[in-house]
Amino acid sequence: MDASEREQYRAAIHGDREAFEMIIRAHSRTLFAIAYGILQNREEAEDVVQDSLVNAWKTRWRVRDPEKFPAWLATIARHRAHDVFRRRRGVPFTHETIETNEPETTDSAAIDQQLHSALAALPELHRAALTLRYFEEMDYRSIENMLGLTNGALRGILGRALASLRKQLRPALASMD
Amino acid sequence: MATLHEEIDNWLAADLYGELSEDEQRQLHTHLVDCAACRKTHQETKTMNKILEETLAQQKPDPAFEQRILAVFRNRIPERSGFVKLLSDLMRLRAAQITAVAAVLLGLVQLGRMMTGETATTLRGHEGYTNEGLFRQPSQVAATGQTRAGGLGKSDELAARQAKDMAVAKPEAAPGAISELRRFPATVAPANAAQTEVPAQETRSEAMSYATEPSPAETPAAATANRKLIRNATVQLEIVSFDDAVQKITAFASEEHGYVATTSSLKQANGKLRGEVVVKVLPENLDRFLQKIRGLGELKNQTLGSEDVTKAYFDTDARLKNARVMEQRLIEMLKTKTGKVSDLLQVEKELGRVREDIEKMQGELKYWDSQVQFATVTISLVEKDMEEPAAFLLKERSQLALYAPDVEKIYNDIKALASQKVQITNAQLNRDSSGRISATMSMLIAPEESEAVIGRTKGFGRVENFQTQTERIAQGGSGMSENAKTKRDKVELNITISREEQEQALQQTSLRIRTSSVDEKAKELRALAEKQGGRVRSSTFNRDPDGRELANVWLRVPMKNYVSLMQSLNSLGKVENVSVQRQDRTGTQVDEANAPADVSIQVYSQGNIVSHESGPLATLRRTLAQSAGAIMWSLRMIGVAIAFLAPWVIALVALIWITKRVIRARQARR
Repeated sequence: MDASEREQYRAAIHGDREAFEMIIRAHSRTLFAIAYGILQNREEAEDVVQDSLVNAWKTRWRVRDPEKFPAWLATIARHRAHDVFRRRRGVPFTHETIETNEPETTDSAAIDQQLHSALAALPELHRAALTLRYFEEMDYRSIENMLGLTNGALRGILGRALASLRKQLRPALASMD
Repeated sequence: MATLHEEIDNWLAADLYGELSEDEQRQLHTHLVDCAACRKTHQETKTMNKILEETLAQQKPDPAFEQRILAVFRNRIPERSGFVKLLSDLMRLRAAQITAVAAVLLGLVQLGRMMTGETATTLRGHEGYTNEGLFRQPSQVAATGQTRAGGLGKSDELAARQAKDMAVAKPEAAPGAISELRRFPATVAPANAAQTEVPAQETRSEAMSYATEPSPAETPAAATANRKLIRNATVQLEIVSFDDAVQKITAFASEEHGYVATTSSLKQANGKLRGEVVVKVLPENLDRFLQKIRGLGELKNQTLGSEDVTKAYFDTDARLKNARVMEQRLIEMLKTKTGKVSDLLQVEKELGRVREDIEKMQGELKYWDSQVQFATVTISLVEKDMEEPAAFLLKERSQLALYAPDVEKIYNDIKALASQKVQITNAQLNRDSSGRISATMSMLIAPEESEAVIGRTKGFGRVENFQTQTERIAQGGSGMSENAKTKRDKVELNITISREEQEQALQQTSLRIRTSSVDEKAKELRALAEKQGGRVRSSTFNRDPDGRELANVWLRVPMKNYVSLMQSLNSLGKVENVSVQRQDRTGTQVDEANAPADVSIQVYSQGNIVSHESGPLATLRRTLAQSAGAIMWSLRMIGVAIAFLAPWVIALVALIWITKRVIRARQARR
């Protein structure tokens, strides 16, 4: 993190609105990736991003160390998304029924559905890591920072996530080859 | 360590995402060449990645995403405008923060001050001072002049009016008259009208210069001629001789065409006189008379006052005239003798009342005339050194502490001393439950007998302490006097008698003697003590399971035998650890030869008696005890701190909790 970035975070914590808006520009996509990873729904994810930013602005004074500001934003977004996810849990996934109805349709739409349910079966953290990687093309170190993971943990997470997806989609994959 | 094969998923993922180092890449490729299963997995993983890339790419936020988020954010958190924004921007500066905190603290202090009523009184005090300064004009200024000056200081308006009045009242008018004019400005109103064009400022300065001048006591002119003023003065003087002063005052009075009305004097115990002289002088001579009097002695106090009775006087005069007319008419009515008898009786009655009134009014006028004719000067005279004492009384108080073997006998002996010149005022013999006996006595002795009686009393026992205190008491005054007589009063003697055993030893010695046969040596020790005129007060003998023997002996010997006893102890064995403690009592007379000395001797066998209070174990035990104590103490302090903070923390937490609940409830409603 370079000095100008840190200065920007510091200013934002102290209530500089322009600095905060700059941070929104720089980080809202990352937050979206995290939220989407957890929720698998674009509208909800966008709402989560917005709520998280408003919440962050109101409670910005809680951040002691400006360097931790992005990670703190990510934590807020994750918690928020998790809350939304939990509230939704009563409602069953619609695509599951679709999947059972037409399991053998091997075109892209069907694969989409299968992928969706395979993703849904993953732990939240794994999903968030995946979306961060695929949306933002972030390297391992940045993702670890964002999700508050210790050094090297992501390697296992992404490996297991990919393996899990692969196993669930094996029939479809075989047909694609 | 896990092999590459086992962790192939992680490796493949890292490879996909470009997170493998060159070395790792080489390892992976080598393995893939060898392992068919992993090759298949590799293939699948690549396909999986492709699917993910394709699928998730669709879900990426659109380009307008940031703008939308920002817009919503701005909408939900409206930017503060104007003053509030300026203020919040300002508060971001450290300097501003410090200033704000300082301001709040200062405000709190000010608030506290206001609440405790600690107001600034300096201003009022200063005002008082200036007034005082104005009042303290040079002493030759007449008292009325002083009050005028004070008036000027207080209010310009009032001063201007006064000055105008004064201009009317002619400059040579007596100051007393001027102050009266101020009090009754209405009476000179017609004359005032003629000279109103005189500028106020000018007259004021004139008045000032006039006020500070010594008043020239000249005859009052026309202005005061028909005014009725009663003047009086009181003067307090400190003089050397009362009679001289009265003579001089009489002379001054006749010089100023006055007379001494009354003289009274009172003689004090120390032969000094105090008195009062009342002098009547003509009012116009009053100031000159006062000047003269001042030369007699030191002026302590002077007041000068006057009372204007003009209005009352002329009122009474007018009423008197009316009453006279009324009287005349009533007399005429009686002369004509018409009407009923009852009417005539009524007239008679009325006439009586009117005549009574006339007499009263005449009396009043006469009294005023006499008062106005002469000014009254009351002079209080006090001779110098009024406070000098007339005599001194020497009071002697003695305290005697005696020790004797038989308290009761001495108590009775002292009682037998009682006679005309030796009076026992208090005698008390106490015996407490443990059989200890003591006595306290107080007596008053005629001064000529005191030496002899005290000397005899001292002979009754061993004097432990004797103190005499002499006090000179001034009578009829205070301070010093050259010619006051000194008299000796009765001597007060307080005696306490105690038994010898109770006496505290003058010297305490403790020592140890190491020997092989403790029991024997202890007996020898007793014999030695007896020989030296000492007494064994107590003794103990111990033998512990290890066969060690220990005997403690406490002795008391007279001081004169102490040295020889100590020398003889050497014959018993090796003397160790001698410690001597002497209690010298300063300021008291002590019969040292007979004063008791305590000796505590420990006779012991088998030299290696190790104290319990040393050695590694004892140190360890003490350390543990101390650390336990420290822990208990800190626990207690923590308890105190918790008790101190708990209510506040609870209150704060409750407040935060309630606030959170309220906010949440409000959000839920929204």
